[in-house]
Amino acid sequence: MTRVNLAIETGGLAFRNPVLTASGTFGYGKEFEGLTDLRSLGGLVTKGISPKPRFGNATPRICETAAGMLNSIGLENVGVEGFEREKLPYLRQCGTRVLVNFFGATFDEYVDCGGRLDRLDGVDALEMNVSCPNIKAGGIEFGTDPRVLRDLVRACREVIKKPLWIKLTPNTSDIVALAKACADGGADGLSIINTITGMAIDARTRKPKIATIFGGLSGPAIKPIALRMVFQVRRAGVPLPISGIGGIQDATDAIEFFLAGASTVQVGTQSFVDPDASGHIVRDLEERLAADGVSDVRELVGALKTG
Amino acid sequence: MSAGPGGRAEILAKTVGRGTALLERALPGAEVDVLGPLGTSFPEPRADTVDLLVAGGVGLPPMYMQAARAAAAGQIDRSEMIYGGRGAPDLVLLREMQAMGLTLFLTTETGEVGDKGLVTRALEARLRHHQGKQVRVMGCGPNGMLWAIARMARDLKVPCFISLEEQMACGIGVCLGCAIPARSRPYRYVCSNGPVFDAADVLDVKEAPPAAPAACPA
Repeated sequence: MTRVNLAIETGGLAFRNPVLTASGTFGYGKEFEGLTDLRSLGGLVTKGISPKPRFGNATPRICETAAGMLNSIGLENVGVEGFEREKLPYLRQCGTRVLVNFFGATFDEYVDCGGRLDRLDGVDALEMNVSCPNIKAGGIEFGTDPRVLRDLVRACREVIKKPLWIKLTPNTSDIVALAKACADGGADGLSIINTITGMAIDARTRKPKIATIFGGLSGPAIKPIALRMVFQVRRAGVPLPISGIGGIQDATDAIEFFLAGASTVQVGTQSFVDPDASGHIVRDLEERLAADGVSDVRELVGALKTG
Repeated sequence: MSAGPGGRAEILAKTVGRGTALLERALPGAEVDVLGPLGTSFPEPRADTVDLLVAGGVGLPPMYMQAARAAAAGQIDRSEMIYGGRGAPDLVLLREMQAMGLTLFLTTETGEVGDKGLVTRALEARLRHHQGKQVRVMGCGPNGMLWAIARMARDLKVPCFISLEEQMACGIGVCLGCAIPARSRPYRYVCSNGPVFDAADVLDVKEAPPAAPAACPA
């Protein structure tokens, strides 16, 4: 059987394999102790961290939908200080790459949060969540206006020395413009995509199924949209590596994202179905590639045949 | 779900959706992937305390297990089960519980079996009966029933433990979907801080209405 190389250097980091876990679906890593072997993963992305702790949204916060789920957790997290004190000691010795997702409610909060996390030993890279409403701009997401996004990335770049990835929102009509804005702002990588805004209604009670009415749709239902966006950004020649996210359930899904142009993938909602989902995907990926005679996973990146 | 004799596991389920339909059709020898045990349990049976176990409909299994625990500890005479359902078909495992030596008080809304009405009225009668003794109330069932028994226990200053149910994505404290407002913290999680809670921590806790800036998906 072919020996397969899964290691890849991308977005400013060297990974033992291209399978990471997505923010918000993997806690702070420790929750999965005994359920999956963190040392077998390429890396993990933590729950999004804000400068101060947040208690999250009113309940109910989640509901099941066709081939997926809606969530409106409200970015509940322990805050930068809580993260350093309670979560980081475990992550420092967990044996995999640690990417810390972060966000703020204002421009200054983003810069402050990113800068403080950047200085912490044990943080390998930062992933910026730009799907939050900008309070000053009337609640419009930071991540939907290319100029605002470029300026935000640039400001964060100035204080962040470690690799900086930007997690793009799919709630836009022009993902390529947003990706280019991140490149212009000096980012090292892109994570594509975050959840898609949706809603669900209980016909019997005539109420929304989650308290905030709208929530983020994730799971297999969004995979075709995620693949399309990864491919669009890749085809447009945006000079940043892509971490593909959206409904990845197995090694075949991961391969599809590589072909579309992703150099790593992030497993999200599937970790709720099977806490060892990412571990399975790593093992199956190696077997699949060996069986197909592919000796290096890097051969697949962007290798889509389009006629 | 319970561990039975000879390394066998038993699953008691009411078919309501796709998952339970698959379980119902599963044949002996079928592989079932189980994540667990998860979360908290009811407190241990105590020789000096009467435990009133209240089960509503599909809330029976944990109360049944609690009774089995008391029986195994030789304290089944310190437990009583108040068990209600809509009609006779909703009440299961009656023979098994009688075989344990458990005292049963049954209620149905139709009046087919036991007293006609809800478990709350039967509980009230048992609480009156045991007045002056050390009593605990433990319950599992529909939320309306749980809050009703928790209020009753609070008013009589009787400790009460309830097993709550919520929509859950992960079951291990990661997705933060099964949050419930609590006194000890703004939110507790049914999967990992529960499902069994001291009712005093979660009863009648008002939660802040969703504010616009906080309504950040994901």
